[in-house]
Amino acid sequence: MGSTLLEALNVRVEGSGQKVLVLAHGFGTDQSVWQRILSSFTPYYRVILYDLVCAGSVNPDYFDFRRYTTLDAYVDDLLNILDVLGVDRCAYVGHSVSAMIGILASIRRPELFTKLVLVGASPRFLNDRDYHGGFERGEVEEVLSKMEANYEAWVNGYAPLSVGADVPDAVREFSRTLFNMRPDISLFVSRTIFNSDLRGVLGLVKVPSCIIQTARDVSVPASVATYLKDHLGGRNTVEELHTDGHLPHLSAPTLFAAKLRRALSR
Amino acid sequence: MPTSVSLARQCLTEEAVRVLDDAVAVARRRSHAQTTSLHAVSALLGLPSSTLREACARARCSAYSPRLQFRALELSVGVSLDRLPSSSRALDEPQVSNSLMAAIKRSQANQRRHPESFHLHHQILQNNPQQTTSVLKVELKHFILSILDDPFVSRVFGEAGFRSCDIKLAIIHPPMVSRFSRTRCPPVFLCNLTDSDPARRSLGLEVSGDENSRRIAQVLLRKSGKNPVLFGVYAVDALRSFVECVNKGGGSALPNELFGLSVICVESEISEFVNGGGSEEKMGLRFKELGEQCLGPGIVVNLGDLMTLSEDGAFGEAVSFVVSQLTRLVELHGERLWVMGAAGTYETYSKLLGRFPSLEKDWDLHPLPITSSKPSSDGFCSKSSLLGSFVPLGGFFSTPSDFTYPFSSANQSFSRCKRCTEKYEQDVAVIQKGGSTISVADQHSESLPSCLRMAELDTGEGVGVAKTKDDETMLKAKILQLQKKWNDTCQHLHQAQPFPKLDISHAWSQVPSAEGFHFVANRKERSSKDSSPNGSQCADPSHRTPTDLQKPFPLKQNMQLPVDSDTENANIQSKLIVKVSRSQQIEMERPWLSTNSMPNMSPPPDHTSSSSVTSVTTDLGLGTLYASTSQEPDSPKLPGCKESLQHFSGSISTKVDAVSGNTSRQIAHSSSCSGANMGGQSDPRDFKSLWRFLREKVCWQEEAICSISEAVSCSRSSNGRRGGSSFKGHIWLTFLGPDKVGKRRIASALAEIVFGTRESLISVDFGSQDRVCQSNSMFEHQELDGYDVKFRAKTVVDYVAGELSKKPHSVVFLQNVDKADPLAQTSLSQAVRTGKFADSHGREISINNTIFVITSTITKGTRTVLPGKEPMEFSEERILKAKRYQMQILVEHVAGDASRSNGMNVRVTLKNGTSNAGSVNKRKLIETCDSEGHMGTVRAQKVSRSYLDLNLPVEEELEENINCGDCDSDSISENSEAWLEGFFEQVDDNVVFKPFDFDALAGKIMKDISLQFQRTFGSEVMLEIDYEVMVQILAAAWLSERNGAVEEWVEQVLCRSFAEAQQKHHPSAQSVLKLVTCEGSFVEEHASGVCLPATINLK
Repeated sequence: MGSTLLEALNVRVEGSGQKVLVLAHGFGTDQSVWQRILSSFTPYYRVILYDLVCAGSVNPDYFDFRRYTTLDAYVDDLLNILDVLGVDRCAYVGHSVSAMIGILASIRRPELFTKLVLVGASPRFLNDRDYHGGFERGEVEEVLSKMEANYEAWVNGYAPLSVGADVPDAVREFSRTLFNMRPDISLFVSRTIFNSDLRGVLGLVKVPSCIIQTARDVSVPASVATYLKDHLGGRNTVEELHTDGHLPHLSAPTLFAAKLRRALSR
Repeated sequence: MPTSVSLARQCLTEEAVRVLDDAVAVARRRSHAQTTSLHAVSALLGLPSSTLREACARARCSAYSPRLQFRALELSVGVSLDRLPSSSRALDEPQVSNSLMAAIKRSQANQRRHPESFHLHHQILQNNPQQTTSVLKVELKHFILSILDDPFVSRVFGEAGFRSCDIKLAIIHPPMVSRFSRTRCPPVFLCNLTDSDPARRSLGLEVSGDENSRRIAQVLLRKSGKNPVLFGVYAVDALRSFVECVNKGGGSALPNELFGLSVICVESEISEFVNGGGSEEKMGLRFKELGEQCLGPGIVVNLGDLMTLSEDGAFGEAVSFVVSQLTRLVELHGERLWVMGAAGTYETYSKLLGRFPSLEKDWDLHPLPITSSKPSSDGFCSKSSLLGSFVPLGGFFSTPSDFTYPFSSANQSFSRCKRCTEKYEQDVAVIQKGGSTISVADQHSESLPSCLRMAELDTGEGVGVAKTKDDETMLKAKILQLQKKWNDTCQHLHQAQPFPKLDISHAWSQVPSAEGFHFVANRKERSSKDSSPNGSQCADPSHRTPTDLQKPFPLKQNMQLPVDSDTENANIQSKLIVKVSRSQQIEMERPWLSTNSMPNMSPPPDHTSSSSVTSVTTDLGLGTLYASTSQEPDSPKLPGCKESLQHFSGSISTKVDAVSGNTSRQIAHSSSCSGANMGGQSDPRDFKSLWRFLREKVCWQEEAICSISEAVSCSRSSNGRRGGSSFKGHIWLTFLGPDKVGKRRIASALAEIVFGTRESLISVDFGSQDRVCQSNSMFEHQELDGYDVKFRAKTVVDYVAGELSKKPHSVVFLQNVDKADPLAQTSLSQAVRTGKFADSHGREISINNTIFVITSTITKGTRTVLPGKEPMEFSEERILKAKRYQMQILVEHVAGDASRSNGMNVRVTLKNGTSNAGSVNKRKLIETCDSEGHMGTVRAQKVSRSYLDLNLPVEEELEENINCGDCDSDSISENSEAWLEGFFEQVDDNVVFKPFDFDALAGKIMKDISLQFQRTFGSEVMLEIDYEVMVQILAAAWLSERNGAVEEWVEQVLCRSFAEAQQKHHPSAQSVLKLVTCEGSFVEEHASGVCLPATINLK
């Protein structure tokens, strides 16, 4: 039960420290994405790592297509993990979809979180009136249909684009994890993500948040970071990261770790 | 044109045929002309415990009582059947209608596509080649599924409030264990885990249906904060769809408690009122009305979009009036009245809150973020269509999908009994207290269902493979019957038996599964016609307490595996190994058969003469068991478990990837015992034979071999003496220094001599990640240790752990340990200390029978790569870069006098001397870098590595790269160095290897060639051998398993080419023959026994 959950989602607790830090990976990766920066935090934090149920490293049979239709189900998982581990306060670092999950989790259980660090976060990826999310509905449909048609080709195209920075190893790593996901799950999750809109709920977040934004991110335009800063209900800061890409923790781990350490200490 | 019944019957399995027969009977009774899908449905529902009925029970919506809904279904089927035209004359066999036949055809196709059954199908075909391919028997499950596809049928179901897609889902995801026990408690999984409110948990909230509505319903059920305010862009939509859902009568999203709830929308009234229309009186009246309506289950006052209240246009006073009225209403009728509203943005709400700060408390509001508009059914449909399209990509599906279904699906659909709920809560408490310890219960819960499944599968398969020719089908039928019978008994017993005194944490998972074990066993015994002694015992397991049940388990695990491995050690195994992979059944049977030949076996009990092979294996199992567990008092019970454990081992071997977690733990369990056994059985190789054997393989590392043999023979003999009780059964060796090939060959020789086969070498190269993967390298087959093949989504540690759990008797060969990642480092240091190898999830595998060979080019204490005393002409690094180029001989005339040295007319042209273009230059560049320093090489490699390999995880090498100049990288390497030193101190022996003397070998080969050359051309003509060719020859010599292979090559291949060249060109004194590589073309045909071309091109 508790441990079934922990085992199913490969929950790992690393490091020694009083404070708890949750590192939640984003779409297309798994917890290994934090490997590069993990050592910078294990001396000071008890770091909790877990895989989203959609990650390639999780048994795909756990992915219930009826349950994971909205992000709330992922939030359930996160909160359950924290409860099973007996965590009562933690700092949360979430990347892309996990940033969204973190926002929702902090709305539901504000007392649980001391700080949210949102990496490559976006409340809504689609453009709307007065809102620039970076994607048009039509574009997204096109991408999704491409994904459906030939997953491998899509991965090969998407990974370098997403990583952005010219770091072949990061591209390879991201491709690996992306490729590990079962295509149908991957597609389903992308739909879920693209159908999500957190704009209306941002104000409910009372936890101080730090938005880490890279200089150029194909998935998240810079305006989104500003939007988040303005609309999130807590005390917010935006940290610019002088590198490219959607996955700074993979493509520029040192830089990212330093930034994150600073963000957490404040 | 309808099909005859007999023809249709041929397409179905026995079970499905029975259904068809029933359907035909139904049609006949009603004197219908044809048997349609609807008849089949009627027949299916008629069966007392049919799959369809069960699926319906799980798929039904919770709003109605099950009995009611089933009656509705029966009625609706009956009515539809009545409507069918009846034929004038009664037929004996109403023919199968086109629609039903089409359903059968569809299910055939479906089954063929289905990977799991495809395997089975395939196997049947292999074993019975005479059987025609065209007749694929449709299983009942698929039959039902395709019947449900029939639009007519789904309409009938729809009339009774069932959705056929839900039913289909329920069939596809069956709660597996329910065959064995109905009252199994529901394990709670990812959802609702921490709901502390028991009332809520007992709702059995259906997962299907609109997710948003479900969440809203959840809020409504809360004790405090029960009035939801929806936030988000889609909030208003979600609210609307929830209201629709409630008005429609619940739907699947609403729990029973909310049944009968009515929603009253006051949005328009409020909107009108606050915008200046209507009087306060009228509004007050409306609210009063609302108060009066609060009867029965209650009402939900839907305020709609809260925008109406917070708009700028709204009159302040009017809004205050509404708020105060509502507040009063909530106060008065809080029990029966809910308020809900929606806000598009938080700002709307906060504005309202700004004016009425106590609103949240007064109205008992609960903010509910709504982030998605999508009704879940959309997503679901897209999924199913998708799955179809992805089937050809079967490779992506990392695990066979059948494995965890029992696990995960069982989680969703059970309603838990009170007792189990209590237990569950206690367990949660235990877990929360104890952190993340993995309980035994989990282990079993995970491993057993698959095992049971396996066992079940096996009866079918076993019979198929057994080839008992004549009574195959009869036996199968018999087994099926028995299976059914025992299912019933078991079920019956179980339901009557409310778990007398179960150990809490083990209760739910263990009991049913244990029962399953016995169950399988007994069934087997029945089929071998030996029922009397244990006849009554099968009822036993469910009566016994769990501790009782648990005892036989670990014991049996221990028993089974060592027996297996003993036979492995016996030399019979080497013959078997070839056949092992052929089929799973064989794999399982061979070891057992071979144990039969072991001397001290007690004669198998009397039922050896029984008809099937399946039962023979049972008996053999029995025999060995008696032989090895004579001290076990209640051994009569054991054969059962034993038997099923045999299946278990089958499941280990076939599904290791999927269940590697639990197998590894199994292995850990068995280790202590198997260690003892192995020590006793295998003859400990003495130093001399070991030394001789290794020496034969690698003649140039005498000193190293000497110390290796000493270390190994020493450990192993003491192992044998002391029986493995206190002895550390694992041996750790480090091979330090150069000579990659030699190290590897020694490791594989160790595997061969100690464990009997080279296959028992688990090899991983930590360095492979940051080496350029050169195509056509001469060392290609060695580099297969690379990450590509093995490590899909695995860390090295997990890979090794997985392999070790498959074959604990192995040499683990870890190359370049200095490049190991921190995880591997910890795991290794822990393993060397404790004898347990932990994977990345912390699961431990015993390594008591494992030899670890760890290599590093770094020798103890120094981090520098051993440089040669003087700069060598042929360094190991250079040799390792050799490629399998084709060679050619060029004949050129030189005007000037070629210098001659050492009286030989053969020389190696240095690398700069040759003129080559293109790709060579690139390599040369690396070459020069190499001579400048090691760093240069690394950088050069980096540059050339721009390809994308999906399977390679990026490791710290990158980090170092990025960190360049950062102080962190230093500390990392320092750490690694410190670790390495500490680690080297703990191992049994550090063996330092000498560099392979390539220069000497080169000299010798040159002499050989020179001799041959002079014999052909005389002493006048010169031969220039390209450096690259020389490297290639040296690499071949290094790699060749046989001494003198290269000499042979020189004598045969090279000589022949010289002769040809002589005939063709008649070179004069001024001629220079050049032996060079053909850039870009690689060896197609190898000379025998050596990695060199079989022919040399001549120009």
